[in-house]
Amino acid sequence: MAQTFSVPTINDGPSDFCRLFKLYNSIIRADPPIVLDFSHCNFLRPNAVAFLGGLARTMQSDSKMLGFDWGTLHDDIQTNLAQNGFLSHVGGFTSPWAGNSIPYREDNGLNSDSIVYYLKTKWLQRGWINVSPLLADNITTNLVEIYLNAFEHSKSERVFTCGQYYPQLNQLILSVADFGVGIPYNVREFMKRTKTGADIKSDYALRWAFAPGTTTVGGMSRGMGLDILKNFVKVNKGSLSLFSHDAYVIVDSDSEKYLTHDCSFHGTIMHITLQCDETLYILPEELSQKKMF
Amino acid sequence: MTVTILKIKTKIGKNCITIGDGQKIYRAIHKTLIRKGTAILDFEGVEVFASPFFNAAIGQLLKDIEPDVLNKHLKVESLSPTGMGTLERVIENSKKYYCDPNYQKSIISLLQEYSEAS
Repeated sequence: MAQTFSVPTINDGPSDFCRLFKLYNSIIRADPPIVLDFSHCNFLRPNAVAFLGGLARTMQSDSKMLGFDWGTLHDDIQTNLAQNGFLSHVGGFTSPWAGNSIPYREDNGLNSDSIVYYLKTKWLQRGWINVSPLLADNITTNLVEIYLNAFEHSKSERVFTCGQYYPQLNQLILSVADFGVGIPYNVREFMKRTKTGADIKSDYALRWAFAPGTTTVGGMSRGMGLDILKNFVKVNKGSLSLFSHDAYVIVDSDSEKYLTHDCSFHGTIMHITLQCDETLYILPEELSQKKMF
Repeated sequence: MTVTILKIKTKIGKNCITIGDGQKIYRAIHKTLIRKGTAILDFEGVEVFASPFFNAAIGQLLKDIEPDVLNKHLKVESLSPTGMGTLERVIENSKKYYCDPNYQKSIISLLQEYSEAS
């Protein structure tokens, strides 16, 4: 007899992520087969879609049976999941088509050219933001750091992405999830190796990871990716939230908050919101004449 | 004196992202620069950059080459403003990492401070 779990409505606030993580933790501890029921779900944001894709693959790689009761999906959610290709990825039916949805994507290993192509052509340059090639390169240059961070630190080979354009809000969203070891784990392992303190709370681990130049990998200067991303969303009036273990960070143009909550996810999920107003974007200045070093 | 000219788009492609690609550039120019030859990196046609690429390709030159030598002998051409913005951040961090003996200690100290505050 299959156990049924109900997927609630998922927006993109901290409490929504918490609901996702609690659902995930219940499912991975339950005896399969498991079925997901969407009767009580009125809305799924891209964070939920990327996350459910990761959940499906995690269960698959653990040889645990997870089914989706597609008949319980509300029509508009079904249309959205068909349009962005999620249904064809996890259900094996319905080819995706173009619309306000941005294709659901699974990366099995880092293929940077493919990620750049996706960000530029499937996510950014679809006509909903009037980006010049230079601005597209600038936005992509900053966002590709998300993937580098996910692959390098998660110790997971798979990364799950979904995006959406919201015309009423004039916002473009990208969610990237990995089901690896999480940032606080890496920081704690680094503390053990370097004999730095006894332990650290997850919110402080995230605070350290977002500081410029901090890295848990030795050998060369590194640790700029999260700082570059953070500054990009601040300067360009976007927002960023990242959840890992029992902590999360929320960054927008005015603030940067590191917090904990009463739920935990072993991996990392990053959620970026950009404004579709090209006048807000500030490009780096032209090549300076000063000395480089 | 040796002059090494690298067309980055030909050697790497239009996306310069990974440490692995950065290492290819580093290996191609390090020997020239340490002997005070000139290296010219031509970024014509390169569109997207990420910090790991620049950390490996250029930042780690500071491990054993003085900033003044690099200012004189490493030329970067046709790098877009976006690429320059990322490179400047990487060089700023690499200078601290390789040239300031207290920098790595300060990173560890910050972690200790956060650990104690937890």
